[in-house]
Amino acid sequence: MKRAVFLVFGALFGFLLSRARATDYVAIENMFLLRDLHLFGVIGVAIATAAVGLFVLRRAHAHAWAGGPVSLKTKPFTRGVFAGGLVFGVGWALSGACPGTALTQIGEGKMYALATAGGILLGTWLQRKISARSTQQAQAKVAHAS
Amino acid sequence: MDTFQAIFVQPWPFWIAGIAIGAFVPLFAWATGKALGISSGYAEMCSLGAPPGSDRWKLWFVIGLPIGGFAASELAGARGFELDVPMLASALGLGRAAVLALLALGGVLVGLGARTAGGCTSGHSIVGIALGAKSSLVATIGFMIGGFVTAQLLFRVLGGAA
Repeated sequence: MKRAVFLVFGALFGFLLSRARATDYVAIENMFLLRDLHLFGVIGVAIATAAVGLFVLRRAHAHAWAGGPVSLKTKPFTRGVFAGGLVFGVGWALSGACPGTALTQIGEGKMYALATAGGILLGTWLQRKISARSTQQAQAKVAHAS
Repeated sequence: MDTFQAIFVQPWPFWIAGIAIGAFVPLFAWATGKALGISSGYAEMCSLGAPPGSDRWKLWFVIGLPIGGFAASELAGARGFELDVPMLASALGLGRAAVLALLALGGVLVGLGARTAGGCTSGHSIVGIALGAKSSLVATIGFMIGGFVTAQLLFRVLGGAA
């Protein structure tokens, strides 16, 4: 039952991304080229709306409908935040898609997004390998020092 | 204009799309207790071999995305079968294979960058900023600078007047 809930929410989000034209390659590039500010407007209004909704939710100390607390932790400020952000931005403009829109595009019949989504999966896997390796090296260094 | 047309066929004005996506975030959090995030769903796909952990829901969420895209495009009568990206192909004078290779490369950078930054457009730019997180603001500034510079390079420097 729980799986179906997430599947339905995923489908609803995909529907909204599609209707917002966030899955439109030309709309994404024209946002970055400052030719069409539609998507900047969408993102800005979405942030403001989400901020109000999350504020109310936190204030009310609401329990989740599914049971348990509502977990809304902010993400830690690591060294990778800005550098990773820049790399993400380059990929976003190159592919015209972010992780959610690439999968939505496939459903819309934009089959070229199979290349984008495959790339994202590969990049995710690569990052995991790289971070596992640097953790190992850091541990080896600590072991060597002690 | 009838309601069906307005909801499913006509393009949405930016503020309606923004309110809908923004309202989705607290609704999802209230219903499930989770904060929306999509790039970590790809990490969950990479973990398919491992026994399911507490993040398995992310997998089901991302499987839903193409279903939503299918429904939206079908209802709008806009569903196609597209293998080409004319804007990119004509700007750089590339064939289909080269364009797909560039999209795949862009995808690799998206995946690498998102997991390094700890989130993507959903988890950082919308949820994170809405929660007032400094990390999410910095990540989003990175997204925008990277995207702005790359688009200028692709379509104004290399691509001329595309």
